[in-house]
Amino acid sequence: MSTQTDAATGVHPGPVSGSALADGQSGWSPHVQRAGNPFDKLHASLVPEIERIIAQYEDRRSGLIPLAHLFQEHEGYLSPNAVAAIAYHVHESLATVESTISFYTLLFRKPVGKYMIQVCRNLSCLLNGAEDIMAYARRQLGIGHLETTDDGLISYEEVECLAACDRAPCAQVNLEFVYDLTRESVDAMIAAIRAGTYEIKPLAQTVKPGRTWKVEQDTGRKSAGGMNVSDPNNAGGIGDASGIVMFDLIVGKAKYETRSTERLVHETQLRPELSENGHH
Amino acid sequence: MPTDLITPVLTKGIGELNLRDIKVYQEQGGYEQLRRAIVELSPKEVADICNGSNLRGRGGAGFPTGRKWSFLPKDAKTRYMVCNCDEAEPGTFKDHMLLEETPHQIIEGILIGAYAIGCEHAYIYIRGEFKRGYEIMRDAVAQARDAGFLGDNIFGTGKRLEFTIHRGAGAYICGEETGLLNSLEGKRGEPRLKPPFPAIKGLYGEPTVVNNVETLAYLPYIMRNGPEWFANVGPQRSPGYKVVSISGHVAKPGNYEVALGTTIRQLIYDCAGGLRPGRKFMGVQPGGGSSACLFEEHLDVSYDFDSVTKAGSMLGSGAMVVFDDTTDFVKAAYALIRFFSHESCGQCTPCREGGHWIQKTLERILDGRGVDSDIDVIKSAAHQLTGLNLCALGDSIEPFLASVITRYEDQFRAYIKKPAEKVAV
Repeated sequence: MSTQTDAATGVHPGPVSGSALADGQSGWSPHVQRAGNPFDKLHASLVPEIERIIAQYEDRRSGLIPLAHLFQEHEGYLSPNAVAAIAYHVHESLATVESTISFYTLLFRKPVGKYMIQVCRNLSCLLNGAEDIMAYARRQLGIGHLETTDDGLISYEEVECLAACDRAPCAQVNLEFVYDLTRESVDAMIAAIRAGTYEIKPLAQTVKPGRTWKVEQDTGRKSAGGMNVSDPNNAGGIGDASGIVMFDLIVGKAKYETRSTERLVHETQLRPELSENGHH
Repeated sequence: MPTDLITPVLTKGIGELNLRDIKVYQEQGGYEQLRRAIVELSPKEVADICNGSNLRGRGGAGFPTGRKWSFLPKDAKTRYMVCNCDEAEPGTFKDHMLLEETPHQIIEGILIGAYAIGCEHAYIYIRGEFKRGYEIMRDAVAQARDAGFLGDNIFGTGKRLEFTIHRGAGAYICGEETGLLNSLEGKRGEPRLKPPFPAIKGLYGEPTVVNNVETLAYLPYIMRNGPEWFANVGPQRSPGYKVVSISGHVAKPGNYEVALGTTIRQLIYDCAGGLRPGRKFMGVQPGGGSSACLFEEHLDVSYDFDSVTKAGSMLGSGAMVVFDDTTDFVKAAYALIRFFSHESCGQCTPCREGGHWIQKTLERILDGRGVDSDIDVIKSAAHQLTGLNLCALGDSIEPFLASVITRYEDQFRAYIKKPAEKVAV
């Protein structure tokens, strides 16, 4: 694999001066330290852990999901900053990271509540009264499947088999198992969460969640590069944060010829130190 | 409960001993077989022991483990051992228990397997939902590393064995071995086109063996007691012990470790305490959500790979879901179809579209808007999408659905004739 050399030599795309990223813009760049920016601070503190995770694998890209878990643990969801940082560390494009994390239901691309209640809706639980438990929980919470309460405290999802069928109906709260659910235990759980006395710790929350964390299917009208970049119609091009990360990666991997002529010209104008054929 | 049916091997000590502690596990003889394998035996000798035990994969397909290993090219420099702990088959909860209760026997099994195939870097892929299990495994691996069972110079032999724990992020399809490998490589967990099989081209393009947790966990015991000990239990072609997860409408759901060849009736009535008082048996899914339903006439079928297949279903992951006469089979079928439709990775049109269509049709029936022809449409769609997909997920849609429609067509017809109350699912 092409990235194996990167893993072996530990070569990173080097720092570039004169980044186009302005302070406060969405999207993280390895080249800009935004003073007082909480994500930059978080990222800096996580670098040793990130390196340790990636070193466990023969290929950097294998670190993609573990890094997503890591950032989500600290931010509560995968922010555009986190996606850009993951892309940088695993030496892949933003589009690649986006497309990969969107495959997995435990990786949230929008903020969720501090308590994520996931009730099993599969066969064994259904045979043991999950239907009633789910209807009851929805009523007590006042929200539906894949929704978050207005105060941003509780998110609710109905999920597939959790592998705890002997103690059905079951659920997970912040990925900790809760077994043998009854209406009473659901009541007690919700009450304790609301009172702040629940035994399971809350998830990190850096941004107040909206009604749902479900991401609508992209119709493909935007250019590649992923969602929530500074300008969706120019995502992945030079001039915005995601473009810079991608650009560095392409150069770092010497896959310069794969880019379009239009972008090449644009980039050469922005980075006069590059010669016409695109090499240093 | 007549305890003579229950034969704890992997489940021995669970609930009594803290087997997460490496000292306790070693007091039970733990890691002794790893030492013996690495210090005293050649990889081929270890593989021969496995072959001699006739151990078949416990993850679902039941493929002979030794034979799977033998497919690795002899001249390959790099080989990988990957342990599949992405347990998500509806009704299965054995790996969940083994992971949380006995992480060390899993590690020992993986390392013995890795040594046998000449692998220097083993991976375990743990389902994303098993956060607790992941933490337990992480602690156990740290203990094993401190004890010198992992690393650069194991038992002073100069042999190297690395171990990485990888946590998934919520996708049933990553239990499929090539989907798992893609996910482990940091990609979408989409199954690959086969051939090439992982034994030729697997993780990072290198020859790879993917084995289930339970399969590998049996290795230390097969080494300790000899291959005959395992091979002589149960039917000759499908021998050994198996952890069976029994759930649904039984008095005592749980994991029961028995010899293969125990009958389905014994498992339900003697191990799991039978049905609840006053209830009548209506059916059982013998091998997880992907298996066809078996009925009363199958109760005396021997629970082993070949006999269950002969009875028209499959042993699968060894998960039995029992149904009594309160079961609404339309809803049961719907729950499983919705599952497969939800978990389809979307690469193959028959699975992606077919599953979705069947789900929508069942939704319509449950909603009281069904028409008579719906039943034939469902049966035909489920049959037509089978066999046209990259992996077994699409092929898992038909068995249960077809078996219960055939047997309990009246329940489906009743919904069409007389709409039920509003369905909340």
